Amino acid sequence: MTRWSRGRDGSDRRDSRVVFTRKGTPSRIEEYPQMISLQNLTKRFGAQLAVDGLSLEIPAGQIVGFLGPNGAGKSTTLKMLTGMIEPSQGTATICGFDLLTQTLEVKRRVGFVPESGAVFESLTGLEYLEMVAALYAIPEEAARARIKQFIAFFDLSFETLTDKLLGAYSKGMRRKVVITAALLHNPPVVFFDEPLDGLDANAAVGFKTLIQTLAREGKTIVYSSHILDVVERVCNRVIIIDKGRLLVDGKPDELVATRGSGTLERLFTDLTGGEELERRAEDFAKTFRP
Amino acid sequence: MNAAFTKEDLSQHSASAASPERVLRRLFLTLFLRGRSARGLRKGGAPKSVARKLAVSLAFYALFGLFALTFLRQPVFALSVYLHAMTLVFLGMFVAASAGEVLFNKEEADILMHRPVEPRALLWAKIAVLTQVSLWLAGAFNLAGLFVGLAATDGKWSYPIVHAVSTAAEALFCTGSVVLIYQLCLRWFGRERLEGLMTTAQVLIAVAAVVAGQLAPQLLIHVGPKNLELRAGSWWIGLLPPAWFAGLDDAIAGRATVGSWVLAMCGLAATSAVLWLSFGKLAKDYQSGLQAMEEVVPRQQRRRRGRRWLDVLVHALPIRWWLRDPVARASFLLTAAYLARDRDVKLRVYPSLAPMLMMPVIFLLQDFGHHAGNGGFGTGFTAIYLGIIPMMAVKILRHSQQWQAADVFRVAPMAGPGSLCHGVRRAVLCFLALPLVAFFVLVLWVIPGGRSGLPLLLPGLITLPLYALIGCSRGRAVPLALPTEEARSAERGLSMLAVMVVSMALSGIASWAWSAGWFRWLLAVEASVATILYLVFFRSITKARWDPI
Repeated sequence: MTRWSRGRDGSDRRDSRVVFTRKGTPSRIEEYPQMISLQNLTKRFGAQLAVDGLSLEIPAGQIVGFLGPNGAGKSTTLKMLTGMIEPSQGTATICGFDLLTQTLEVKRRVGFVPESGAVFESLTGLEYLEMVAALYAIPEEAARARIKQFIAFFDLSFETLTDKLLGAYSKGMRRKVVITAALLHNPPVVFFDEPLDGLDANAAVGFKTLIQTLAREGKTIVYSSHILDVVERVCNRVIIIDKGRLLVDGKPDELVATRGSGTLERLFTDLTGGEELERRAEDFAKTFRP
Repeated sequence: MNAAFTKEDLSQHSASAASPERVLRRLFLTLFLRGRSARGLRKGGAPKSVARKLAVSLAFYALFGLFALTFLRQPVFALSVYLHAMTLVFLGMFVAASAGEVLFNKEEADILMHRPVEPRALLWAKIAVLTQVSLWLAGAFNLAGLFVGLAATDGKWSYPIVHAVSTAAEALFCTGSVVLIYQLCLRWFGRERLEGLMTTAQVLIAVAAVVAGQLAPQLLIHVGPKNLELRAGSWWIGLLPPAWFAGLDDAIAGRATVGSWVLAMCGLAATSAVLWLSFGKLAKDYQSGLQAMEEVVPRQQRRRRGRRWLDVLVHALPIRWWLRDPVARASFLLTAAYLARDRDVKLRVYPSLAPMLMMPVIFLLQDFGHHAGNGGFGTGFTAIYLGIIPMMAVKILRHSQQWQAADVFRVAPMAGPGSLCHGVRRAVLCFLALPLVAFFVLVLWVIPGGRSGLPLLLPGLITLPLYALIGCSRGRAVPLALPTEEARSAERGLSMLAVMVVSMALSGIASWAWSAGWFRWLLAVEASVATILYLVFFRSITKARWDPI
């Protein structure tokens, strides 16, 4: 059994703890149905509306594919939900904590793999992971043990982690370190922004199994990606946004069946104007004829 | 592969783990010492060079601090004003150069902003590291001064202790002031313009510190320690921050006059106010500044009536002819864009060139200040010394934070980097050397009797294109193609020394030829030699092939 602390005082909330069984089903889910809840979440950059009043609820144990074309507002939404940028309007709660007023509590319960995969390049992998662990107040020995588990999972050598600086890592190795850093503190909610970028085929397969297992363990996973067939296979719910607005939200197979699209990719292109792009690509390719 | 790990209650962790503040301080110190990006393959490789550089810098500062010996048997106030003035300049340069990168790092936001860390804790950790390194530098520079103070005419045994305290206060004041400037920029001008403002503020602070560093010794030489001491009670000295901290030294370990107590109070009050404002009152703005780093704010499009000025310039004669090679033109445009827009490049180029400019200005003013209408060595030296500008700039422009993007040059079907080098060289001549030449011509034009010395600029102008070519020798001036960590300042120092020796010699000859009536002959010979050398260098650069990676 795992106990997730909800707050230091706990007195002003309905329940100070939520308890998950090892099988991942919240035992008191009726008290705590939604792990992520967005209410009219909006972000403006100057005159541009990046996220336009998103309202969603995501319960524990779900893997949600968060999709949209470039500039749709996916990364901005994820950055708001991880406390990296402030919403212009609306709010969200994560594990029952308000994003605006209890930001640190939210951050303690969230893991995030940003699209950039940025790391401090002049640290070794181990130094970086230990630094991250320390920020979540994980004792050194416990952190070391967890890091070893991840090393084994990702087939990294401990020597690489201790001797090589992150600047010298390949893109895939660096991505593995970033994923490890996001999961090190065992967060109940994890946001992945293009997590497979740079991973080789074996690591990608392992990673997909990992997130499915994590979801079964009761974690909520929001998975943003452009690789739609992976989303179709891994996620049990898909949200598609465009121009900051919610377009569809539902189970992938149901959405595909309802819309008669055949595949998630077709559904996506239908909704986001991809057909037009396909035609333009064909015309453009013709201009390369000798 | 089994990812299952022991689940623990997060609340149990905090008891035995290091505090986030301590972790962050250790992190930022490590990053500062090793550099932000490391391309070395092993832990013991590249990053240590930064620590070594710091050690060399500390030794250099300690050596430079020996100049305090010239204040032996002088009053405490004069010695302290000198020490604090120079300390402020050095620290100003250091903090201005480091603060932007340390305080607002875009990549860092992606790594740390979603972690459970208070922005205030981040700010404090960064400030602690900046202050710590500032104290190292200040300590190294003031080391000799501590003992010189004991031998001051009015010095007491407590001078080393008091001076150490006042130096620490000055380091805090300096760091706090730079941070405060950033915070105020953020508050007054908004997040949207943060990036541009930070660059401008940083470049201006660095240039001001460098210029002050060159002017302060000149001022002290002209005013003299005794005069300075006599004016300790003057109202204007209260406007100079170094005098405040010197006042603290004088009040406790010197003559303890009312004036020095007033100055000491000013120093303590100013330091407290700066610290309160920058680390307390405006700390909230730091958080919004960090968030601004994560926000891609679309800039309001300015309505352009026509093409960009750079585009117009490269298509206008004679530049169009000068840049008829398309690769050289592309390289010219790239260099110009980075000189105008890139924060990192601007921060390295302009503050590096500022001290170079002070030398000719001082020579020029001395030439006409003391021997008005005479012209001579100073004018000749000024023009020839300007050759250092394109040479240095070309070398600095080889480095960039986006160095990996320069792979595009190697992928392109080019046998060698010659055309790229020519583009950089021409951009530097066009945007850095020519405006400076125009500035010095203007100065000579304005100074009484200066116009008669204008021809003395010619020997320097003839060598200018040659110096720029030397900077590109062996085709090693590919723009923005090397990591910034690889910038080798020692090599640059050596070439600067060589240029200075040549400049001295040539300006001596020019000065002699001017007074002996051989000036036209000198120009003819110099132009012939310069043309031959120019052609040789030009050809070798054009024929240069890519260095193997």
